[in-house]
Amino acid sequence: MKLGTTLAATAALTLLASSIALAADGKTYKIGAAVYGLKGQFMQNWVRELKEHPAVKDGTVQLTVFDGNYDALTQNNQIENMVTQRYDAILFVPIDTKAGVGTVKAAMSNDVVVIASNTKVADASVPYVGNDDVEGGRLQAQAMVDKLNGKGNVVIIQGPIGQSAQIDREKGELEVLGKHPDIKIIEKKTANWDRAQALTLTEDWLNAHPKGINGVIAQNDDMALGAVQALKSHGLTSKDVPVTSIDGMPDAIQAAKKDEVTTFLQDAQAQSQGALDVALRALAGKDYKPQSVIWERYAKDVKWADGTAKNYILPWVPVTNANADALYKQVSGGK
Amino acid sequence: MNAKTIAAPITTAPRSRLRLSLDRFGLPLVFILLCVVMAFSSEYFMTWRNWMDILRQTSINGILAVGMTYVILTKGIDLSVGSILAFAGLCSAMVATQGYGLLAAVSAGMFAGAMLGVVNGFMVANLSIPPFVATLGMLSIARGMTFILNDGSPITDLPDAYLALGIGKIGPIGVPIIIFAVVALIFWMVLRYTTYGRYVYAVGGNEKSARTSGIGVRKVMFSVYVVSGLLAGLAGVVLSARTTSALPQAGVSYELDAIAAVVIGGTSLSGGTGSIVGTLFGALLIGVINNGLNLLGVSSYYQQVAKGLIIVFAVLIDVWRKKKR
Repeated sequence: MKLGTTLAATAALTLLASSIALAADGKTYKIGAAVYGLKGQFMQNWVRELKEHPAVKDGTVQLTVFDGNYDALTQNNQIENMVTQRYDAILFVPIDTKAGVGTVKAAMSNDVVVIASNTKVADASVPYVGNDDVEGGRLQAQAMVDKLNGKGNVVIIQGPIGQSAQIDREKGELEVLGKHPDIKIIEKKTANWDRAQALTLTEDWLNAHPKGINGVIAQNDDMALGAVQALKSHGLTSKDVPVTSIDGMPDAIQAAKKDEVTTFLQDAQAQSQGALDVALRALAGKDYKPQSVIWERYAKDVKWADGTAKNYILPWVPVTNANADALYKQVSGGK
Repeated sequence: MNAKTIAAPITTAPRSRLRLSLDRFGLPLVFILLCVVMAFSSEYFMTWRNWMDILRQTSINGILAVGMTYVILTKGIDLSVGSILAFAGLCSAMVATQGYGLLAAVSAGMFAGAMLGVVNGFMVANLSIPPFVATLGMLSIARGMTFILNDGSPITDLPDAYLALGIGKIGPIGVPIIIFAVVALIFWMVLRYTTYGRYVYAVGGNEKSARTSGIGVRKVMFSVYVVSGLLAGLAGVVLSARTTSALPQAGVSYELDAIAAVVIGGTSLSGGTGSIVGTLFGALLIGVINNGLNLLGVSSYYQQVAKGLIIVFAVLIDVWRKKKR
C-alpha cells in the first residue's frame, strides 16, 4: 500500500517534471532501446544508466526499452514495430552482429537513426558506442601471461559458442596466447556464461589434470566466479591457479578486491549514455552538446569528435585494489 | 483388455520373470558398463575426488528428479522446477542476508518452493488444467517473479553457515551429497512403505479404479506438486550455496535434466510404474556422462547428442515393454 502510494507519487512527480521540461524546450524525441535480453546484470545496468541520462530525466527523450529475450527474431520484430510507430531513434544492442543487419538498414532508410551499443552491427554505416571484445580478450590473456611469467598450462571457459562476444573475446585471447609458445591451452569448452556450469566444468578439469592446470581464462565474470569456487573445493586458491576474466560485474569486483580474479570493467553507463548522446547529436544537429558524464570520464581515451564518428571504442578498465570500491559503487548503482 | 490380462500370465510367465530382472538390473548394468569404459579411458575417473565431484554435481539434479518421480508416477509433469529453484534460492538468500540464521533461511526457501507447488497442484488437481500447461505457465510466472524479487540482481555476501550447505563437508563427504542422500532415502521410503506411496502409484496406474476404490485422487495429485516444489526449493538453496550467490537466471532448463533422469530411470511417462532407485541411477548416469566427457575432453556438442540418445533409448525400452504386455 505504502509502496503503491510512493510509486504513484513518484510517477506524478516525474510527469510534472517532464511536462515542465517540455514547456521549456519544446522539442522531444521518441527513442527506443532494443536490448538483447534483460536477464543478465550487465544489460540491467545498461538500462538503469540509460534512464539516468540527463536528457531522459528532463523529458527531452521519451524512452521505451524493449527486451529482446535473447532472440534475434524478437529483436527484428521490435525494430520493425519501432519504425512503424515512427520512433526518432533506436539504440540497438544486438544478440548477434549479423542477424539484425537487414532490419537495421530498412529502419535507416526510413530515416530512423540507429546506434549500436555494446555489440556491433555488422554494417559499417551503423555508428557504434561500446567496448572492443577482441581487445578485452587480449587484455585478459595478457594478464594471464603476466601471472604465469609466460609459461604454463591454461584452460579456457567459453561463452555460448557462436555468440559475437564469445567469438571476439576468444579471437583476442588466442592472438595473445599464440605469441607465447610456452603457454599451452590444454582444455577449452563452453559453460554458456553460466556460473554453475563453469563450476562443474572446472571441477572435472581439475580431476582430469591433477596439478596440471596453471591458469583459468573465463570469457566472462560469472564463469570465472564458478571456476574460483571449483578451485576452492579442490583446496586451491587463485594464488596457485590464477583466474582472469572480463566484464567487471559487482560480484567479480568484490572478488578482484580479494585477489581471487583479475577482471576488466566494461562500463555499461558509458555504453548506453554514450550511445544516446550520439543519437541525440544525429537528431538535434551540430549544436548538440553531449550531456553524459562519461565523455569526461574517458576524455583521455574517447574523443567526442562532433558526435559524428562511426566508432566510439571505450576502454576496458582494469579492476585493482585501489579502484575496486569506487567501481563497485559505480556498477551497482550506488547500492 | 480384460481377456488379455487374464490370458497373459499363463503364456508369458517365464518370460516376464526374465523381463522383470532386466527391468530391475538393466540400468545398473548399463551404468556399471559405462563406469568400466570410463575407468579404462581415464585414469582419473575412478579417483575418490572425482567421485565426490560427480556426486556433488549430481545432487542438485538428483533432488529435483526425486520430486519429479512423484509427479511423473501420477502421469503428471512438472516443467517449473528450474524456475521454482531460482525463486526459492533468492527467497532463501534474502532471509539469510537479513541475518535470520540458517534454519530460517532454508525453511524460507523450501516454503517458497512448496507454495509455488501448491499453486501447481491447485491448477492441476482442482482446476483440471493439464499438468504440461499448468507447469509451463508456472515456469514463466516463477521466473518472472524471481527477477521482480530483487530487480534482476543476484544476492551475494551470503553468511558462511549458509555457504556450508553448498561447499561444506561432513567428514570426507560434501554436504550437498548428504542432503541428496537423505532426501532420496526419505522419499524412497515414503513411496515404498506408506499407504500414501501406494496411492501415488495407484493414481498414475489407473485413475478410475483408484477413484472407485476410494482414494482421494485429487488430493494425491495435488500433493505430488507440493513435493516437487518443496524439493525444488531445497535444490535452490543448495545451488545458491554452491555458487556462493543466489542468481535469478539459475536453473534454466534444469527441468529437462530432471525429467531425463526420471525417464532414464525407468519411470513411465504414462504413470504408475517406476521407482526412486531407478531415478537415482538415471541421475547418476547423466552425471557420469557429463563428467566422463569432460574428463576425456570431448566437446559439449557430443555431450548433448549422447544425452539425447540415452533418453530416447530409455523411452524406447519402455515402449517395447508395454507392447509385450
